[in-house]
Amino acid sequence: MFKETILVIEDDVQIQNFMVYTLENAGFSVEGVVNGKDGISYLVRKNADLVLLDLGLPDMDGMEVLHKIREWSEVPIIIVSARDQDKEKAAALDDGADDYLTKPFSATELMARIRVALRYYYRMNHVSSEEKPDDTVYVNGSLKLDNGAHIAYKDDKEIHLTPLEYQLLLFFMQNPGKVLTYHTILRKIWGEGYGEDTQVLRSLMASTRRKIERNPAKPEYIETEIGIGYRMREHEAVK
Amino acid sequence: MMLKEKEILQSLLKLIVIVFAATVLGEIFTELGFPETNIVVMYLLAVLLVARFTSGYQYGILSAIVSLICYNYFFTEPYHTLAVNDPGYLITFSIMLITSILTSALTTKEKLLTKEANERGMESRILYMLSSKLSDAADMEAVLKIAAESISHLLQGNAGCIYVGKQSEPVYIQQVGEEQIHRNVRDLEKLRGRFTNPRTEYLEDQENYYYSVNGREHLLAVVTIDKKVNAEQLREKKRLLHSIIENLSMAMERIEVTIERVRDRENMERERERANLLRAISHDLRTPLSGIMGTSEMLMDMTEKEDKRQALLMGIYQDADWLKSLVENILSLTRLQDGKIVIHKEMEAIEEVIGCAVAHVERSFPEREIQVETPEEFRLVPMDAKLIEQVITNLLDNAVKHTKPKETITVSASYTEDTLLVSVRDEGEGIAEADVSNLFKIFYTSKTRSADVKRGIGLGLTICETVVKAHGGTISGRNRTDRRGAEFLFTLPLTEGEDENV
Repeated sequence: MFKETILVIEDDVQIQNFMVYTLENAGFSVEGVVNGKDGISYLVRKNADLVLLDLGLPDMDGMEVLHKIREWSEVPIIIVSARDQDKEKAAALDDGADDYLTKPFSATELMARIRVALRYYYRMNHVSSEEKPDDTVYVNGSLKLDNGAHIAYKDDKEIHLTPLEYQLLLFFMQNPGKVLTYHTILRKIWGEGYGEDTQVLRSLMASTRRKIERNPAKPEYIETEIGIGYRMREHEAVK
Repeated sequence: MMLKEKEILQSLLKLIVIVFAATVLGEIFTELGFPETNIVVMYLLAVLLVARFTSGYQYGILSAIVSLICYNYFFTEPYHTLAVNDPGYLITFSIMLITSILTSALTTKEKLLTKEANERGMESRILYMLSSKLSDAADMEAVLKIAAESISHLLQGNAGCIYVGKQSEPVYIQQVGEEQIHRNVRDLEKLRGRFTNPRTEYLEDQENYYYSVNGREHLLAVVTIDKKVNAEQLREKKRLLHSIIENLSMAMERIEVTIERVRDRENMERERERANLLRAISHDLRTPLSGIMGTSEMLMDMTEKEDKRQALLMGIYQDADWLKSLVENILSLTRLQDGKIVIHKEMEAIEEVIGCAVAHVERSFPEREIQVETPEEFRLVPMDAKLIEQVITNLLDNAVKHTKPKETITVSASYTEDTLLVSVRDEGEGIAEADVSNLFKIFYTSKTRSADVKRGIGLGLTICETVVKAHGGTISGRNRTDRRGAEFLFTLPLTEGEDENV
């Protein structure tokens, strides 16, 4: 049976043990290394399907490892970091990391992030649906977005969104489970060169939430990642 | 008074002797047939001598008048009467009078000036010595010793000086003869009160005169002078005494500033060391805690749901989780109190911050559901979102700990004209009577921290207060009035104020 390989670059033995064990239990083939140099050289020699990268490594800066890997590989990279490294996390995501985990994290969180990251990786590799007109119908829980007809539904009732709100919701429906940084969203919705003013995005998010969430301060769909961005939670489709 | 009378008698005696001598000489001159002018000159000399050997204008002028009368009586025709035959004498009298008065005045003035110059010279010498001594003084006690010594020396009596400022315990040093003694300060507050309320610079009682030494902002010290000193001398030396007191005030202020600076530096150093240690420990605890949490979770996954070990593993996990939140709190607190990290305010939506805190707490306590009420109106408020999230999380954690699962916890936000108000209410046992008043003390003093952990109030509230205050907001806790339960409220200003220090 084909086993996906996950490379864990983490200098703390306990946490590495925990990750290796959890991932092996879930059926992955796992390789653990304790510094950046070994991690890069492993990738060069053998490649991996996903990388878990600790930002605080003994030999080199995690960001540097990320940049090095991104020079030649599109392998999904999930950043593992301490709680007070928001700035680094956001920067890593903008520089090509796929997701992040904050220590301490649970096995459930770890698996959820890995599943999402792998899914995007395969979709990107196997479906080359890039510049084709997208008339997919996106569904998440009781939210439905018919991109062909340009209509959004909640509980099968049409919801009236402004063009920007629609763009925003579409972007999230296209990327469920994935953290989207302020920077990424701003670029996507308002285009390149808009700048980094997140206030207008917050305000757009607030009005969108008021239309799709029961309680905007207790969001079921678009969750806030403070200091970083937003993430759309995935729900089972409602029958 | 005795002294004064004696001085007057002496002066009058001198006057009489000198004028008498001049008269006798005048008689001799007349006998010898010298011209009259010699007699006039003789009297002028007498006036000059009187002015020279007495103090004050009055004797000079008096001697001029007496000389004139004598001259008139003894040496002008008709002799031995005050009558005058030749009107020419009137001119002689007038000139003689004016000349002698002027002479006496000039001489006296000369004398006064010399005396004053001498005094000033001595004063400046004393003050120079004093200030050079004072500038060498390294501490308050040295200044007090110099004060006692120099004032005692100046007034030839026993003087002392009491330090009553804020930088140390009161110290009272008194000169007794050649010795300097430490005395106990009785009724310090009373003494201080008498000088400051109403403010005055001079007092006296049965034993002592008291002079205040004032700093720019508060009373620094009190100079005591034994009442046995010569009152006359005290009056004469008053100006010098004031100069000395002024010098003392400057020296004391200098020392107070030094003490304060040293103490501040020491405190800061100690605080920093403590915070660093706490930080280092917390930081190092974080990683193994992640390991413990992960491993216990893994073990739970591997254990059957019905297995009794599940509950034990859950216990390990929850304790580690609690420790972890404690560690995070300590890290935030030391980061803030260190003052090195300025809070990083950005425009944030409170609904997002509340959403995150609620999600966080509901993840830790899956059996609890938290009610959230936020205003329809959307506003952005300047805050450090991570820290405010921690405030709300801490308040919610607290509420969860003090309620039963069925009791509702509500977090709500609302806006007033210029503030954002966030409240966390529960329906639990409320805050104990004893704690209601203590709640804020706990916020303020970190010393009771170990005690309140036991009571379950924890470090959390201390952080809440530190964070909210750093934002320029307020925080309070009380029991609900509408029903059973506790209620914690905090506010944040809607607009960026001046930077508040932590």
